[in-house]
Amino acid sequence: MSTINHSITEVLYEPPGPKTRRCIAVATAISLVLLAGLLLAALHRFYVTGQLNPKYWSLFAKHTTWRFLARGLSGTLKVALMSSAISFVAGLLLMLGRIGKNRVVGGISTVLIELSRGIPTLLFIYFFFLLAPQFGLKISPFWKITLPVSLSAAGVVAEMLRSGVNAVPKGQREAALSLGMRDRSVFFKIIFPQAFRYVIPSLISEIVIVLKDTTFAYVVNYSDLMQNSRVLISNYDALLSVYLVTAGIYILINYVLNKISVFLAERRNVSVG
Amino acid sequence: MSIYALLSQFGDRYVEALCTTYKLTLLSFVGAVLIGVIITIMRISPIRPLRAAVDFYIQIFRNIPGAALLILLVYALPYLNLVLSYYACVLIATTLIPSAFCSEYLMSGINAIERGQIEAARSLGMTFLQIVKNVILPQAVRSSVLPMTNLLVATMLTTALASQVPLNPTDLTGVVSYINTRAVGGVTAFVISALFYCGTAVVIGQLGNLIDRKVRILR
Repeated sequence: MSTINHSITEVLYEPPGPKTRRCIAVATAISLVLLAGLLLAALHRFYVTGQLNPKYWSLFAKHTTWRFLARGLSGTLKVALMSSAISFVAGLLLMLGRIGKNRVVGGISTVLIELSRGIPTLLFIYFFFLLAPQFGLKISPFWKITLPVSLSAAGVVAEMLRSGVNAVPKGQREAALSLGMRDRSVFFKIIFPQAFRYVIPSLISEIVIVLKDTTFAYVVNYSDLMQNSRVLISNYDALLSVYLVTAGIYILINYVLNKISVFLAERRNVSVG
Repeated sequence: MSIYALLSQFGDRYVEALCTTYKLTLLSFVGAVLIGVIITIMRISPIRPLRAAVDFYIQIFRNIPGAALLILLVYALPYLNLVLSYYACVLIATTLIPSAFCSEYLMSGINAIERGQIEAARSLGMTFLQIVKNVILPQAVRSSVLPMTNLLVATMLTTALASQVPLNPTDLTGVVSYINTRAVGGVTAFVISALFYCGTAVVIGQLGNLIDRKVRILR
């Protein structure tokens, strides 16, 4: 993003004259003061409500705190990885169904994709959470969160893969066919490997969405990062600081994932969709 | 429970829930687009601190899980003596998160504009704000119709967060757990909500395609 940002700003105002430079300098100073004021006001708010008190923050000096959070994080990552894997396989199948020659399968796949994309993850979660007991099914908390998150990601993955397949130049298929390859091997040996490479950045940004959805694990009582921070809160009686740190951990992980995705996209010169 | 029994008993609830979800979605979407446009202008302005602040804002709200943000707003803000109603908390969460994505979409729309146009506008003596208003925004808005329809659908799905706080009337997701704690709603209770969500998403998508075909700039 930064390189693209750079080019557009370069065109927009380069090179500024002395008058504009003065204007920019004044505006920069004013905005700096305003932003600093905002920051100070927030800190002041923390201070007057006593939230800067060391008793709320000292728990982060103990390594047991971090170990406990790490254990929660590993729960989160387990769900995220399993959901990503399931949604990739399911998305692949849905995509194959949709672009296949069989009209009935194609129709069903299209409907399933639209359903998966158009229903909020929380509704899927309540579906498994509230309905499984009514049918006498016993599902562990792990699957109660993993299955709905996978289902709601599968449709998006299917559409991503499809856009990747569409992005492969037509000549590739024609060339492979003229070499005498069968339809199936054309797809799996020629088209899909290229399509997959196109969509790797988008797939990584989908992992971010999956990771965000795993936060709902508290609904089904699965001990993920969020759930473990709740335990910390009741142990140390420090709500604000723990939730802020937890949110920070989520933001940091997703930020890194997004950076990786953008890096890969720029290296391959494809955009993240 | 059959669909008729369910609807005769909880039909009103569903209508109210649908209205709540639509209202939340519209308010959040309008707010998100407004904030998105404002922060995008800040993002391309020559004022460095503003750009840095907006980048920070976007990274925060792009990457924070909705549940985490809602929990912060509902449970943590009162510790700072800021007590908001549940509805306000949901509305803030479902506005701030899409606003970051809105700005990202607008940015990619802006980046699609050829540099030559901006150079031409500058050589005509247009000021920064004039360029933004007359050259950049019209094109960026046109080419972001499809991303914006996706954003609208995403915003609607985000409003399911409302089911995590006690609201009356509940939203479309909340109504399902409301019914299932009072009666055995079974699969039907879910299917009705799911169809409302999905139907709305499909209609929005089709409308978006229609508008996009009308206003798209062929490059």
